[in-house]
Amino acid sequence: MGKNQPGYFGEFGGRYAPEILTEALEELESTYHKLKKSKKFKKELEFYLSNYVGRPSPLTFAERLTKHWGGARIWLKREDLNHTGAHKINNAIGQALIAKFMGKKRIIAETGAGQHGLATATVGAMFGMETVVYMGAVDVERQNLNAKKIEMLGAKILPVTAGEATLKEATSEAMRDWALNVSTTHYIVGSAIGPHPFPTIVRDLQAVIGKEARSQFKKQNHKLPHAIVACVGGGSNAIGMFHAFLKDKHVAIYGAEAGGLGPKPGEHSATLTYGKTGFLHGTKTLIIQDEAGQIVPAHSVSAGLDYPGVGPEHAFLSQTKRVDYRMVTDEQALDCFLEVTRIEGIIPALETAHAFHVARDVAKDLGKKKDLIICLSGRGDKDVTEVLRLLGEKSK
Amino acid sequence: MSKIKDLFESGKIKSAFIPYFTLGDPNYNDSIEFGKTILDNGADILELGIPFSDPVADGPVIQRAVARSLKNKFSFSEIFRVTKEIHLHKKDVPLVYLTYFNPIFHCGIEDFLNQAKDSGVVGLVIPDLPFDTKESEVLFQELRKRDMDLIHLVTPASTKKRIEALKKTSTGFIYYVTSFGVTGERREFSVDLKERIRFLKETIQLPICAGFGISTPDQAGQISGYADGIIIGSAIQRIIEENGHEFPKAKQALAEYIAKIRVAIP
Ligand SMILES: Cc1ncc(COP(=O)(O)O)c(C=O)c1O
Repeated sequence: MGKNQPGYFGEFGGRYAPEILTEALEELESTYHKLKKSKKFKKELEFYLSNYVGRPSPLTFAERLTKHWGGARIWLKREDLNHTGAHKINNAIGQALIAKFMGKKRIIAETGAGQHGLATATVGAMFGMETVVYMGAVDVERQNLNAKKIEMLGAKILPVTAGEATLKEATSEAMRDWALNVSTTHYIVGSAIGPHPFPTIVRDLQAVIGKEARSQFKKQNHKLPHAIVACVGGGSNAIGMFHAFLKDKHVAIYGAEAGGLGPKPGEHSATLTYGKTGFLHGTKTLIIQDEAGQIVPAHSVSAGLDYPGVGPEHAFLSQTKRVDYRMVTDEQALDCFLEVTRIEGIIPALETAHAFHVARDVAKDLGKKKDLIICLSGRGDKDVTEVLRLLGEKSK
Repeated sequence: MSKIKDLFESGKIKSAFIPYFTLGDPNYNDSIEFGKTILDNGADILELGIPFSDPVADGPVIQRAVARSLKNKFSFSEIFRVTKEIHLHKKDVPLVYLTYFNPIFHCGIEDFLNQAKDSGVVGLVIPDLPFDTKESEVLFQELRKRDMDLIHLVTPASTKKRIEALKKTSTGFIYYVTSFGVTGERREFSVDLKERIRFLKETIQLPICAGFGISTPDQAGQISGYADGIIIGSAIQRIIEENGHEFPKAKQALAEYIAKIRVAIP
């Protein structure tokens, strides 16, 4: 494997995982290669997406938000209406089917906000597979409702206490579990990260978001939108939203990453702004790290963006400038969270609130009679307690 | 010829004892003393861990060691300083670094290798850099230029095809991972360990050293009967963990443990 070979996006991507996982990664790659072309697999995936997840998700015109912001027309791609409340289920169902085809009886996952853990626990229950979810101990607290749901669905949560006890450590721990149980277990990676072929599989499974959005918009408006926006943690909802539009050169694409509390190392998760090329969790990508190559802990108000790395395809899209990645602070995200909730009657996930903030600026710049689609990656039910806590702190 | 090749071809040892510990745990100066103690009590090759914040191939014991080490300010100049001190204590024992690729990449491959070599290091083990990457090829070329070795890991899951393929860029010895999963002490090993090692020896014309999970003198004695070397990490790291706050006690416990393993290996 080298440059320009499968699994690389420019110089980024590849497979930098412990040798013990190579066999499993090769098996996954070849299985997926076959399944991608298999009518049976496609049909089964489509069946679950429409009959279980609730696809296609609507493309909603946000009339009040459009007026309120006073710029471009705002459209929302409603991944929040998926079963379990976020885009994560698109990927979890697809990978669970792949696992089934490979004859694996056990699935594991890492989770930050708990949405991917919830999606995995859900498909684990539906397909009757033993499910284990690794979650940072801090996130088990921050996202307690999701943690409780995961357990109720019959999955086991293993809280990870190492390091910062968030998504990065949960990911490392899931990789270790996989190394130990590689013959019986499939690791459902939850974002467009990890060693090849994960970034490609996750992107393909999430690409349904952008494909639907593009054709829905075209059908209703007989043209393409001027801009699209999505939030970027590992980057799965964003790459899913962007993919169908990458070749539409006149469609401007924006990614929103977590600027956290500020620019100091340790205070943000703004990988595409402050990251440097490196190797983490099996992939070559942009990573927040110090001069010596030690990974710096990430921070974000939203557990789902709190990751010091990013999917390699985003690193590439940022390098080639096809996508404009911008930072949004915790406070700006929180403001948008409340604004969207009150104006539009939709409680977005804190992750998505980052995308809304970028969208607000872009909408103003674009001006009236232009169109902008936001990927509403998930709903904010999981964040209500945390938001109330933060508001309480603010008013003190 | 590389130092490691020299050692195995000298006929002086039947099976090598290769202890591992993480530099900087609990601090860099104690590391020097631990290194000397291990050397005094018998190591044929010494493996030094350069801590990395996200050691995905390591179990809890080494993860905790790395975390303790990183509480000290990490710098390559500290790493090289400590390494050199250990090297000067017993210059004929080859030193090998075990680390993840990101820190090396950041230091810059050439810069890193020059300084590592200056400090007495003759080989590298990098658990997250598979041999079939562009970076591994570059690293291999640079190591060759310096008579240093790239020690590859082979696991129970490695296919014949991969084993054949890694021959080309493999020198020093093969680090055979005795069990699935990550580093850590274990009671049992896979049943076909002996056969796998024999097969590897025939396929790759290099010494095969076994590691991951070995901790007792019994295990060391048995496995060294058919492997060209045994690597012990977690058990040593546990001794440092349990006694590291009391330096003389830690040193004493380390010395005793190393000596016990030493006599168990023929
Ligand atoms: C609702 C929601 N949006 C976005 C994300 C960020 O992940 P990604 O960047 O992979 O879409 C998460 C992660 O948990 C999430 O729950």
